[in-house]
Amino acid sequence: MSSRTARMDEISRSEGRSLPAWWLIFTRELTDLWVGGKALTLILIYSVLLGIMVYVLSSNSELSLIPPKEMAYETLKNAMAVSLFIALIIGADSLSGERERATFEALLLTPASRRQIITGKFLSGISPWPIAFLIVIPYLNVVAQGDEILGPAILWGGITGTILATAYTGLGMLVSFFSNSNKTSYFVSLGIYILFLVPAQLPGRAQTGATGQFLQWVNPVAAVNHFLSKHLVNYRTLAEFWTWLIAPTAFMLIVLGLLFLFAAPGLRLEGGRESKIGKMLKRGTAVVGLVLLLAFPTAVPVLARDALKTESGLQITIDKDYVVVKTGDKVEYNTVITNIGSTASAPLIVAMNLINLDAKGDIVDPEDWSPQRTQYLEGLAPGESASLSWIINTILDGDYMVYMVLIDAPTSTETTSHPVASSGIHLTVTPFTRLNPLGVLPYAIGGPVLLGLAIFFVYRLRRKNIDLGGS
Amino acid sequence: MDDQNQPILIAEELRKSYGQRAALRGLSFSLQGGRVLGFLGPNGAGKTTSIRILTTIMQPDSGNFSVDGINHKHPEKIRRKIGVLPESLGFPRQITGFEYLTYYGQLYGLPTGAAKDNARRLLSEVGLEARGKSLIGSYSHGMRQRVGIARALVNKPLVVFLDEPTLGLDPRGQQELLALIQHIAREYGTGVILCSHSLSEIEGICDDVVILSSGQVVTQGPVNQILGKGQRNVYRIQIPVTDLAPAQEELTKLSAVLRVSLLGEMSGWLRVELTYSNNGSNPEDYSINNRLLGALIQAGIPVMSFEAEGSRLQDVFLQLTEEAIK
Repeated sequence: MSSRTARMDEISRSEGRSLPAWWLIFTRELTDLWVGGKALTLILIYSVLLGIMVYVLSSNSELSLIPPKEMAYETLKNAMAVSLFIALIIGADSLSGERERATFEALLLTPASRRQIITGKFLSGISPWPIAFLIVIPYLNVVAQGDEILGPAILWGGITGTILATAYTGLGMLVSFFSNSNKTSYFVSLGIYILFLVPAQLPGRAQTGATGQFLQWVNPVAAVNHFLSKHLVNYRTLAEFWTWLIAPTAFMLIVLGLLFLFAAPGLRLEGGRESKIGKMLKRGTAVVGLVLLLAFPTAVPVLARDALKTESGLQITIDKDYVVVKTGDKVEYNTVITNIGSTASAPLIVAMNLINLDAKGDIVDPEDWSPQRTQYLEGLAPGESASLSWIINTILDGDYMVYMVLIDAPTSTETTSHPVASSGIHLTVTPFTRLNPLGVLPYAIGGPVLLGLAIFFVYRLRRKNIDLGGS
Repeated sequence: MDDQNQPILIAEELRKSYGQRAALRGLSFSLQGGRVLGFLGPNGAGKTTSIRILTTIMQPDSGNFSVDGINHKHPEKIRRKIGVLPESLGFPRQITGFEYLTYYGQLYGLPTGAAKDNARRLLSEVGLEARGKSLIGSYSHGMRQRVGIARALVNKPLVVFLDEPTLGLDPRGQQELLALIQHIAREYGTGVILCSHSLSEIEGICDDVVILSSGQVVTQGPVNQILGKGQRNVYRIQIPVTDLAPAQEELTKLSAVLRVSLLGEMSGWLRVELTYSNNGSNPEDYSINNRLLGALIQAGIPVMSFEAEGSRLQDVFLQLTEEAIK
């Protein structure tokens, strides 16, 4: 050993312990990201978006009485979607960004091992997730409105979000590993982000087919959303739906494995070239596309065949002719079903229908307007009547017609029945808005403002510690 | 034996190809501590590939090199011994020079306190102690180059690689930086490998030189020896413009002179071509200098400047690289 190097080692020994390289890189990257860096900007944008989303959701909730559970789930889902985007963007910049800014060579020239470099960058890359999650907790508290969902939402949101944020940061870094420029890295990452969102955009029936279900199961984001929706909203147990966490966990482990075992040892100044892995990824994308295409035919509903019709001796009346209300109001009415025939009826089904009278107005989804659109009755003896109560939550202003349809259940697969319609209720809904639905406004405004103040404080603190003289 | 006479960097038959194209075809040289070695070559000669291999950024296809006896197969150990200023080094803008050097000191294993002391010392050494707390984003190009050099020295390296360190600097900045490089080599016994396109720069501060062309070493050795390799059969003489014609006449009379032509009429330069080639290996070869000057002095023509083509590194470089390309 030369005398100069020996002196360097001597200094290290005499003046305390040196810190591990991964920790140094992690803290440096963390500072770069959070002190005037892109993580800070992205989180600020996230908090504003979250405020708007929750405000809109709360306004809708007041109008349509979306249950708190669903509100909390929707809030969590949206927060996770934006957080994953941030994780992907930060991961995507981590290596190609340094290559582009020509700062990478200096780091590669240090004795820090390639794996330590990846570790430090990865840990700093996932740092926005806990911050994003902390920001969403007050919103969850507001939209949960005291519901017991808050605890499970925080617990499972934290667990599943951490799994996905870890995977997405790693995925972004893998893309960045192969890219020489941020342009390429961002473009590919955005493509992957969209690819994972595609199954959620498929028509409802395509999602419920066997292939559609499988696609949802293997898609880590869709699987987590499905798990959260069933577990948090529909009271389904963990034992029933834990399998939906297999794909996200496997996805995270595969990404981490590739990042630390494949990419890290081969980290170099230039981005990865076309390799076997690259070709495999391309093939994988093609297979996913093919499977998506196959999902449609399997999900196409079978067309109903013509069937025999029978006459019906049933009658349905309604106790209101017209109603004028404001959005958010509740409309209650009753129907009376009478068997005016000479024979006992089959079991009966009564369904509520709602149509927009304005041809240019929004198409109505009755599911959103009423928690109970269909009610079932046992058969009625001749002359017998039954009364049913109904509730409508008025969501959108406009001019509507509400009417009921009565169906006697077909007696066999070879028969059908003749629906009977009631008279309609002319429903006029006038606009009504509230400035602070569910009291969410202070959070929607306060969150971003507080974050902005924190950023300003950090910025001022930083300016105090540096000399601002020009060159 | 004196430490400084031992080579601290030895490269043997380094080869590297990119696909079918051979970028480096057997690079061999050595560097001693305390000496500045100029690394020269036209564009595409393999300089950057050589530097990237020697700094462990890239692996050679074959061949060996070692730094302080450490084989290149242990890149992490070699990185502890070397310092590098890459050609286009980027800097994080939102960090001060002091923080930057402290961070790199820590990455080389220094505890925080020692890394801070080291950063202060280096800032002072490169003349930036007054700007250490300024953001690097506010530095001029010259100041960034100085921080880059300080970063290259953060681990007290045995060998420092400087790739075009004076690129984009004004003449004063260039001069100061070159003085700093010489100081580093002389003061600390550091071996410096200096890549530059400025031949006068290399000639001015380098002790040794390696000239590459098309991935091969065309010549190497101490600068004064390399300068002797130039073919000197042409001289350039500057005289007053009004004396051009009589001077041309006097010089043509000499038997050793093949032809005399105007190099630049306005500037008063004459180009004198000899009938034979003179490579300076024999002291008697230099007698032609006396005869040329004597003829002009006897004719009463004032000599403003006199130089042999091939006596500058630029001439040798052009000659040798041209030959290699042929």
